[in-house]
Amino acid sequence: MPAPFYKYGGFGDETSLVIAFVIGIGFGFFLERAGFGSARKLVSQFYLNDLAVFKVMFTAIVTAMLGVTYLSWMGVLDLSLVYLTPTYLWPQIVGGLILGVGFVVGGYCPGTSVASMATGRLDGLAFVLGLPAGTLLFAEAFPVLRGFYDSGALGVRTLPDTFSLPYGVVVFGVVLMALGGFYGASVLERHFAKRQ
Amino acid sequence: MQRFPALTLNQKLALLALTLGVGALFVSPTRGGAVSIDPAEMAVIVQKEVDHVSVDDLADWIIQGRADYRLIDLRDEKAYAEYHIPGAELAPITQIAEAPPARNEKIVLYSDGGIHSAQAWFLLKARGNRGVYILLGGLDTWRDSVVFPVLAENPTPFQAERNAKLTARAAYFGGAPRAASAAATPTEGAPAAPIAGGAPAAPVAMPKIQTPPAPAGAAAAAAPKKKKKEGC
Repeated sequence: MPAPFYKYGGFGDETSLVIAFVIGIGFGFFLERAGFGSARKLVSQFYLNDLAVFKVMFTAIVTAMLGVTYLSWMGVLDLSLVYLTPTYLWPQIVGGLILGVGFVVGGYCPGTSVASMATGRLDGLAFVLGLPAGTLLFAEAFPVLRGFYDSGALGVRTLPDTFSLPYGVVVFGVVLMALGGFYGASVLERHFAKRQ
Repeated sequence: MQRFPALTLNQKLALLALTLGVGALFVSPTRGGAVSIDPAEMAVIVQKEVDHVSVDDLADWIIQGRADYRLIDLRDEKAYAEYHIPGAELAPITQIAEAPPARNEKIVLYSDGGIHSAQAWFLLKARGNRGVYILLGGLDTWRDSVVFPVLAENPTPFQAERNAKLTARAAYFGGAPRAASAAATPTEGAPAAPIAGGAPAAPVAMPKIQTPPAPAGAAAAAAPKKKKKEGC
């Protein structure tokens, strides 16, 4: 049976929750092991003296991208059934900026805040409590925000479609971008570490 | 001359990623060549009904301006010219067989009822298309529950809310709700007058399917939603 297993009826809703739980625990474990349970580590990203977050996340992106490319090429994975988030240009830009400000100010993104809380940090706990509070606030304000929420709808957009490039060329380009980014990151780290 | 082991682990991984990246230039995510049907897999899809899209979902997708799927009208040219669901492409079943859509596209098929859709679904599945869906009930159900929905009479507050939603949605698609009593004996014939409120966008020009008079309020309710679609 090809993947995604869930969409091909390989397992039901209950099993999918168990699998999601196991993957989530694994995700949290590796975030913590990478040092991302500490706001200091995460925020040093923005002072350019430790770009571990950038490197870990981009490594994950490249690994997943290559995996998806080759698995679908081999016919194991059905790309057309993989969910892609549709683009809503304006709300996504504003949402990204809000998340970025929160990241710089408080030192966590949603996943790392949970990992941080699990290690007993109180600032992580504050973030985790903020999640449902913000969700509630948004839900209450939703009638007012509705128009904005739906604005700039572009449907599902992919880089190969948008730039009319073959899929493999985009994959190759992203790999080059990642390797260049890793090299640039190590240069930046050396440069800014001196000033400390 | 042990040059390769002199690389650090990071450099080796970078080299691996680069190699796979170069390899990706020569692979396509969608497999070509012959495909075979897995009867057990097909049976699971049919039994779990994961290959269905309801008219309600489709209406929502169109209103939201989603563009991650292709809507395919399997009827003939004449029927298509008379009326089609907004955004639908004309592709009679022979054309589907000759020039099938790309394998990684999400396809929603519809015909008048469901038989042609089901046959085209099988045809595409047999050619290796994965994301093929059937509009449940076809154009008949689309007409009866989206364009000319039946509203609940003497509605409870909950039903009243749903009635309002159905009315607005029908107006969006150039139709109008009808009363439950009228639904039993639909009025035939009588070509459709242009919808009250005037100037409907070209794709929502309504067919001669059924012609209950459209309340002016309904067309007005659709106006803000249309504006939203222009942004797409």
